[in-house]
Amino acid sequence: MKLLEDQAKAWLRARHLPVPDGRAAHTPADAAVAARALGARVAVKALVAAGRRGKAGAVKMADGATAAEAAARELLGVEIAGQRTRRVYVESAVDIAAECYLSFGFGRLAPQIVVSRRGGVDIETVAASDPAAVVAVEVDAMRGLSVWQAAYLWERAGVESKLVPLLASLTARLYAAFRDADALMLELNPLAVTRSGELSIVGTMMEIDGNALFRHPEWQDLNLEEPGPGGRALNERERAVIAADRKFQGGAIRYTELPGDIALFVSGGGAGLLQHDLMLAAGGRPANHSDLSPASIDKPAALFDAIFANPGAKGLLIGMNYLQLLPCTLIIEALLPSIERNGVDPRRFPIVVRLFGPKEDEARRLAATVPGIRYLPHGASLEDGVREIVALVKASPGR
Amino acid sequence: MSILIGTATRVLVQGATGAQARFDIRYCLDYGTRIVAGVTPGRGGEMVEGVPVFNTVASALAATGADASAVYVPARGVKDAVMEAVEAGIRVLACFAENVPRHDAAAAVAAARSAGAHMAGFNTNGVISPGRCKLGGIGGDRAAQIYAPGRIGVCSRSGGMSAEICWMLSRAGMGASTCVSMGGDPIVGMRMVEVLKLFEADPETDACVIFGEPGGTHEIEVAAALRSGELRKPVVALIAGQFQERYPAGVSFGHFAAVIKGENDSASAKRRILAAAGARVATSLEEIPQLLTT
Repeated sequence: MKLLEDQAKAWLRARHLPVPDGRAAHTPADAAVAARALGARVAVKALVAAGRRGKAGAVKMADGATAAEAAARELLGVEIAGQRTRRVYVESAVDIAAECYLSFGFGRLAPQIVVSRRGGVDIETVAASDPAAVVAVEVDAMRGLSVWQAAYLWERAGVESKLVPLLASLTARLYAAFRDADALMLELNPLAVTRSGELSIVGTMMEIDGNALFRHPEWQDLNLEEPGPGGRALNERERAVIAADRKFQGGAIRYTELPGDIALFVSGGGAGLLQHDLMLAAGGRPANHSDLSPASIDKPAALFDAIFANPGAKGLLIGMNYLQLLPCTLIIEALLPSIERNGVDPRRFPIVVRLFGPKEDEARRLAATVPGIRYLPHGASLEDGVREIVALVKASPGR
Repeated sequence: MSILIGTATRVLVQGATGAQARFDIRYCLDYGTRIVAGVTPGRGGEMVEGVPVFNTVASALAATGADASAVYVPARGVKDAVMEAVEAGIRVLACFAENVPRHDAAAAVAAARSAGAHMAGFNTNGVISPGRCKLGGIGGDRAAQIYAPGRIGVCSRSGGMSAEICWMLSRAGMGASTCVSMGGDPIVGMRMVEVLKLFEADPETDACVIFGEPGGTHEIEVAAALRSGELRKPVVALIAGQFQERYPAGVSFGHFAAVIKGENDSASAKRRILAAAGARVATSLEEIPQLLTT
């Protein structure tokens, strides 16, 4: 979940890290008030969770309240990187002498830190044109990052000696902030050196770990959400699945709608990926992708409700990998009431079930009480399930 | 022989008193796995399915000599559970919790690796050496039917697909020496190439099957080891998720780790790079047995 810059900077400021004064504004008039309070020159930035905002014209410098008001008027409501600008951030301008780059993220096994003496531009560009200016290393997650390790990084990146202790000390504190925030990513770009020789965090991007929200009550209500494919807004069914996923304990559900007509209720990450591939290869068009690791009946039920409410869906494949941890009845006991609730007739809306494992016989008996559900014989492959639903939906009269 | 676990393995279950652990312990015992101890702090002295429960891993090890652990502790507490286990001397772990906070996962994996421990997970359904031992719920109530003993090493990024692959093998008259479900979380304890190197050194494994997904570099590392000659046994690779390339980068459709970020992250790129390195690339489960025999 990406934080907006005002949220990220508020968090850093609370840890006494050097962030310029600033405040968010929802209207041009608010921006003028903010600029007046900050005094002198300000930067007005569109608050959208995206990098490269400078290039996108989303950052404007303004001298005084009137100019800040005009800048805010230009930015508010504008769409940047697929997101509408609902508020701007007004921040004291920093008198920059030099710009560095610093980021924290994750490598294959461990946290990773990247530093460069060349900030203010895309790090990918610097890495391509001047690889010696970029140093990336993994951090020992048990030990954290010491000041001397950080000093060695900046030294290798080629910054001048007198800056090394300053940068090293700040870098170690920022690593602790990255860890304590349960951030997945924290990028400081530019990390500015001012004309008076101090460090200032001018640009910030921060992404926090949705799996660690339980220890961050401060972010519980931010209502952050990821955009759907192509940066489109989530629809009501996708939102409902996210809400159910957060509401009910244990397991996980995910649901993304796509333009096709065969709904996928598929489990176990990998088996879902494979069935989606197989469906495209068989000429079928998925109406959604889903993923499920069920623990109780609530999450599968919410996923079925979303699938049946999707007007684009004309049939459903329940394609589970061989269940090893849960009874098959759990899925059928979620399915049958959802069919009822949503007024689905499986004789007109084909439902193919490929579901084997514990309590399979009982699941078959339950499924047989609703006419039209096609429960594949024990031993049918994932491929069989895909072929069956593609054929049935092609031949179906529609709901 | 097999890798990681075998007939001599003495299994500890952390979080033994939870519902999923009880469910799995019964099936593991029925399978013949030697589960010697459970741990749940505060529940020492109880029994689960006839297995004694201890408060700490240290006391469980002192009393029973367990050497592998099935870790059922949920995501919020699993970092400490892993650290406790490796400090006490456990050297093989399967960690079932999914969606573990990333910083916790990194710390736990660092602890396991620096101790020289082999850890499957996070978000694994376990490790099985068919006919000998299973660590975790892998195989459920029909482990013997799905996982036949044999000479194929299986390593999968998806627990569900490990079952589908092994079931396909058993129906084709083949079987697995060991099947490792690596875990679907972004940070897992072993690299796929590390598992394959264990199979390379195992005299009872003739060939390997891997199941890969978009995102990350596990499969690319396998290809590099095939090219360098570190891996000489045949590798059949099933890489799913090609459909993701129809959608914008950065959207995850399955495991959280299965997000395309870089140019070699896609299923197509991985298939191409593995094929060029000498792996036999399957596009469906049904092709796997025949690719193993050609």
